[in-house]
Amino acid sequence: MKALPIIAAGLAALAASLAQAQYPDRPIKLIVPWAAGGDTDVIYRTFAPLMQKALGGTIVVANVGGASGTKGAKEAQSSPPDGYTIFAVHDSIHSTYYTGVADVNYTDFEPICLVSSTPSIVTASPKTPWTDMKSLLADAKARPGQITVGATLGSTSHFFPAMVEQAAGIKFKYVSYEGTAPRMNALLGGHIDLAESNLTQKGKADAGQLKFLAIASDKRLPEVPNVPTLKELGIDVEYAVNRGLLAPKGTPRAALDKLRAACAAGARDAGFPEAMKKHGTLVRYLDPAAYTAFLQRNDKENKDLAKELGMLKR
Amino acid sequence: MFELLGAGLADIVQLKYLTALLTGCLIGVVGGALPGITITMTVIVVLPFTFGLEPLQGLATMIGVYVGGETGGLITSCLLGIPGKPSAVATTFDGFPMARKGEPGRALWLGIWASIFGGLLGAVFLVATTGPLAAIALAFGPWEYFSLFLLALSMVAGLVESSLAKGLVSGALGCVVTILGNDPVLGQERLTLGIPFLSGGIPFLPVLIGVFAFAQIMQDVERMGGAAKALEAVDRGVNLAVSHLKVILEILSRPFLLLWSTFIGLAIGVLPAIGGSAANMLAYDQAKKFSRHPERFGTGTPEGIIASESSNNANVAGSLVTIMAFGIPGDAVTAVMLGALTVHGIQSGPLFISQHATLAYGMFAAYIVAHGLVLLLLLPGVRWMLRIVTIPKSMLFPVVLVLCTIGAYALNNTMDNVYVLLVFGVFGYAMVKFRFPLAPFILGVILGDQIEINLIRAIMTDPNPWLFLTRPISGGLIAASVASLAFSIWQHYRHRARVAEADADF
Amino acid sequence: MRRDAIAGLAVAAASLFLFWLTLGLEKSALVPVGPGFYPRIVLGVTIALSLWLVISGLWTKQDKAPKKERLNYALVALQFGIFGLYVGALPFLGFRLATALYTAAANATLDPPRGARGWGRVLLLAVLTAFLSHLVFERYLQVLLPRGSWTGF
Repeated sequence: MKALPIIAAGLAALAASLAQAQYPDRPIKLIVPWAAGGDTDVIYRTFAPLMQKALGGTIVVANVGGASGTKGAKEAQSSPPDGYTIFAVHDSIHSTYYTGVADVNYTDFEPICLVSSTPSIVTASPKTPWTDMKSLLADAKARPGQITVGATLGSTSHFFPAMVEQAAGIKFKYVSYEGTAPRMNALLGGHIDLAESNLTQKGKADAGQLKFLAIASDKRLPEVPNVPTLKELGIDVEYAVNRGLLAPKGTPRAALDKLRAACAAGARDAGFPEAMKKHGTLVRYLDPAAYTAFLQRNDKENKDLAKELGMLKR
Repeated sequence: MFELLGAGLADIVQLKYLTALLTGCLIGVVGGALPGITITMTVIVVLPFTFGLEPLQGLATMIGVYVGGETGGLITSCLLGIPGKPSAVATTFDGFPMARKGEPGRALWLGIWASIFGGLLGAVFLVATTGPLAAIALAFGPWEYFSLFLLALSMVAGLVESSLAKGLVSGALGCVVTILGNDPVLGQERLTLGIPFLSGGIPFLPVLIGVFAFAQIMQDVERMGGAAKALEAVDRGVNLAVSHLKVILEILSRPFLLLWSTFIGLAIGVLPAIGGSAANMLAYDQAKKFSRHPERFGTGTPEGIIASESSNNANVAGSLVTIMAFGIPGDAVTAVMLGALTVHGIQSGPLFISQHATLAYGMFAAYIVAHGLVLLLLLPGVRWMLRIVTIPKSMLFPVVLVLCTIGAYALNNTMDNVYVLLVFGVFGYAMVKFRFPLAPFILGVILGDQIEINLIRAIMTDPNPWLFLTRPISGGLIAASVASLAFSIWQHYRHRARVAEADADF
Repeated sequence: MRRDAIAGLAVAAASLFLFWLTLGLEKSALVPVGPGFYPRIVLGVTIALSLWLVISGLWTKQDKAPKKERLNYALVALQFGIFGLYVGALPFLGFRLATALYTAAANATLDPPRGARGWGRVLLLAVLTAFLSHLVFERYLQVLLPRGSWTGF
């Protein structure tokens, strides 16, 4: 039995030398910390093949959902930093860290690049009387703490309405609806009044099943020219869910460089913006240096926000 | 609706879906025919393969397994007197005597054709009611869902086993599993018992796989000695020739029996988590009660075969209605389907049929087409099935458990789920040994989180607890669950002397 | 039945312990009832039901004389043991190696091979199961299987 570890070590060394010879020589696991079919999953299932082309290896999307996206984050953090595990991140990593849901933060990873940005939209149930953002605000001022908002508590869909709350000086009542799909069901059935959504729900808005009240981008989007921005309405909130790729800290330089180059090539692929449009998402590429700065700024903003909302646990 | 169904049929006959469906049917027929391999286990084995497929491909495969399994189970029931699965038990009562009286072909094909008719009648119900029921379900707020889940649990706990207390404890234990590790509302850790992998909570699929696979396999292992005996030699020369027209007429000349058995199958299927094993016994029992010649039952009467087989295939349609309209699994097989949907990111529930119309009608179409495919497989293949049942279990079981392991691992790509599989494998076997029913436990594991989430949502929306009773649908559902508990208490008193403890099936 | 009473007691004790643990849970700022609310309800109900089971188990005096059937519990324990080792070894040996070893061990213990033919069967089954399933899942179904941290294989 003593021979086994030795043989194993030998095999491992052999495998390691092979791996160094030609990275990637086996499929790379891209951990998406959310269920399949969600926005993040859909975006990366579109992006992975484009990145693959430049990388010359296979990327397999592995959904590790659960616990507000922190289960996958933990899994990615504890994976061997060999370049064969990468992590699909979005802004919730900061908020779940500061609200104390998880111990994983972006500093446990090496940035690869930022891929996309999805502006948030204030969305109302068709059973509500509001015709636009103004009537919502008036109603909210008249009935503080009575308008129900569905949200994944402590995550982006909670932070966004909370920012609107602060900027407009109103008060909502939050009800836990984790995930976009259950939130949209509840909006349709009139079980909640408001929720954050994005352009992926445009079809339902066009069919009158949902009402888009205002968008949190800096200017109106051509897809929904009739939806005003919050800024136009005097609410100084700009919010989007930003998605990027990270690798576990300690990933070899050579592998990182290859991944970064492939990510850049994938994001610049001519077909990518068109494909993303279908998912209500804008392509937003940032190189590793710019992405690092972005993460730092985002992290600070989230910390401040958590503090202002009374949710800061660290 | 008909255009959509037409489009669904046009989808499903495309090569990539048809291949998936046909493969599913074939695996189902084989799995159903193998004694000791239930349909639940077959569908568990198929699960990991569906991860890499398109959603409709994966679900078509599973539907194929389901339909094929319900039909395949009757082969061994009729010809060997061994039910291939619990939902074919009643088929042996008359199928085997008929075969021994020198009419094996008639027994077999009566069963097969009755399955097909029952299944297709079920399809009408499936297509017609799923949409309207889903529309009703959309009006369900958190209060209604909470009460509905409560009703499901109390019904299952009361109906499946002779001891109500055990059924209820079993269901409660299922809910206890879901409170461990992680609070589903905020994702905060709770009750992790210091075990790191518990911090994300326990997902239901590895629990289900572990409980069912090990409970079933280890019960067989118990009976295997040092020298495991293979199934006694099968007479492969048996003459199965029969006039199909005559058999079909024999079934259609009993329209009331066919319709009533189908109805029982559907009703049992729609009720959550009861499953085909109850359906075929109940239908058989009813057929006997309504028959002019009840004394002929058990001696090889065609009525017995028709009742049993039409009801267990209709049961499949009923289960599909529940899962597609409400997102609640009607039995373990649909619970695995629910898992497959979740893996593909599809939320089953009231919006399923409108948001994923192509997929939903594709599933309907798959269900209908599967019956034809099963028939095509069985016409030349029945004799071949007899050969397959002689595959030794000593080879089958390790392979099945390896596939269960892959299924658990691939679900979230972590070893954690494999550990869950092992722990609950042991736990499930222990439950069987203490004669606890498995069905309420699994339903508890599946619904526990949902019950909590809806309870918290209701409280967050409006803190008034009386809303659970004063909202009409919710109040009605609560009243129904109280009534169902009262009914099972009454029934248990009445039957106490008579009812022997049934083996845990499902 | 005595067995029911024992099972009921075990469930009640475990639930009581968990109930005690829920008392230490903090209330959260965002949810009015906190993470311990539902667990306490579930555990309370479980305790009540299992006590009912204990009482009804003691009330019903006699087990029906169980059918005398010799069951091979040693084999069951062995199979659980082998599977446990398999699960334990998976992350270290990797899927292919561990699966081949497991399949061989399980098959050989369920049906002890006699002669070269028997061992040939065990070997063939093990190699086929491990490598065929790996090939199908990783190559064609895009399902990644565990890799060994000792073997990298």
